[in-house]
Formats: sequence, structure tokens, C-alpha cells
Amino acid sequence: MSYRDYVIAAYAVFAIVMLWDYVVPRLQLRAALRAARLRVARVASRTAPTELER
Amino acid sequence: MNPVVRWFHQLGSPPYFDRFAARWAPWAYLLGLLAMGVGLYGALFAVPADYQQGDSFRILYIHVPSAWMSMAVFALMAFYAAIALVWRIKLCEILAMACAPSGAAFTLVTLATGSIWGKPMWGTWWDWDPRLTTELIVLLVYVGLMGLYAAIDDRRNAARAAGFLAIVGVALLPVIRWSVVWWNSLHQGQTISLFGKSHMDPSMLWPLVWMIAGTKLWFVGSLLGRARADNLRRETGKDWVTKLAGGTP
Repeated sequence: MSYRDYVIAAYAVFAIVMLWDYVVPRLQLRAALRAARLRVARVASRTAPTELER
Repeated sequence: MNPVVRWFHQLGSPPYFDRFAARWAPWAYLLGLLAMGVGLYGALFAVPADYQQGDSFRILYIHVPSAWMSMAVFALMAFYAAIALVWRIKLCEILAMACAPSGAAFTLVTLATGSIWGKPMWGTWWDWDPRLTTELIVLLVYVGLMGLYAAIDDRRNAARAAGFLAIVGVALLPVIRWSVVWWNSLHQGQTISLFGKSHMDPSMLWPLVWMIAGTKLWFVGSLLGRARADNLRRETGKDWVTKLAGGTP
């Protein structure tokens, strides 16, 4: 194959950027769900009666 | 009500969109991966080497679809931004802003692969040619837009400001498209035409068609994933997100 190194470099750039485009939304989604779960836990702990209140 | 119109209205609802995106994003990625797999096989192994460019022309199977996506995503982003500014539809703000990172990624691939192809063919990595320069400006607009969206605390004001920039930036698209006609530039003229005659032999064209379809499907997956995450962030505290996070609303 002629210009093999150039072809490999170009396809590597494409693969890395597409992989990034796949991974980042998944990480953002995971972070958003984790933040929602933490909020649920925070609200639950705030509303739960303490030992003295019981 | 017409079912299509009703579905369109339903899609504007954050919980409905979340379910829609969760269901269809993996399929879009999968179909995109399959289409790109066929396209890459054709581009790297099935089509013969070009009689002038040798095997370096195989780079164009990723360069051209990325360049088309770079412009198409920008146009879509401006379209969503215009709807968001006129009708104040929150989901359109989210979708417009979710377009930007993918659009920037495709623009980066366009510039990088064009540069890698240009070194052996033109003898230089870069030239301040009108097509290359305007494409670089598009990348800078994408980056500026993402920066603007991140810099303003209020999400709705941030989306409006960045959306306005997207609408103004759309003026760049005809300049990119016609730059090779308006100026005598180093970049080659139009080779492939959607409606007219293409200057590319049909035996070499089919992998490009697969790659164009694959990159579009991949973008749909990425757009839905990003929009879903932003939608969840904005809706935190609402009953449906609490339920999704495992709590009781």
C-alpha cells in the first residue's frame, strides 16, 4: 500500500474521535444519573426522623 | 389529532424524550457502526487504488463524510436554535447545544484528515486556502459556542446566547460550500453531486455512501445521548427524574 503511514494516521484520528464521541455522552449520562441519585438520598435523609424526634 | 403531529408534541416532553432517547440511541450507534464497518471495508480493501493519488485517496472516505457532517450538524444546530429562540421550546435548546460537540468533532476530523492527505498530495500540511480557512473558522465557532454555553450559569440564558451565535454562524456554510467556485483555490472543486453527475467512478463511490450513512447514524446516537444527559441535569428534582433515580416522588 502506498502512503500507508498517512492512511493509518488518518484512520486512527477518525477512530479516536469517534470513540470519544461515543464515550463522552455515556459518561455525562452516568454523572447526571449519579447526581439525581445523590439528590434523592439527600432529600430522603433530610426527611427521615432523627433518633431524638422519634 | 394527526398521530405524527401528536408524536411531535409528545417528543417535546422531557420524560417522553428521555424514554425515546434511551430506546433509540443504542440502535443508532449500532446501525452507524455497521454502516461504517461496511464502508471502511470497502474503502480500505475493496476499491482499487487511484491511478494518480495511489492509496492516499482512501483517506477521503473519512474526510468527505466528516466534512459533510461538519456543515450538516451546524445547519441542524442553527435550526434547533432558531426554533428554541422563537417558540422557547426547552428541548430544542438542549438538542441545539448537544449538536455542538459532535459537530466540532467532525470538523476536527475533517481538518486533521485533510491535513494528513494534503502533505503527500499538496506537499504541505496546511495552506490558508479559502475552504480550509473557513472550515477552521467553523471549528472555532463550535468551540466558542460550547464555551459560551458553559460560561453562563443560567442554562436557558446560556442556550439562548449560544443559539444566537449558531444562527449568525450559519452564514459561514454557503461560503464553505462555494469557496472553491468563488476563489481560485488549492482545494479541489466538487467531485460528488447528490443530484447531478458525480466525477467519481461508481465502483469507488459505494463505500463513500456507506460512510455517509454511518456517520449520520453515529451522530444521531451521540446527539440523543448528549441531549438525554443535559435533559436529566436540567430536570433534576422533578418527579420523573426522582423515579428514574430510584426514589419515590
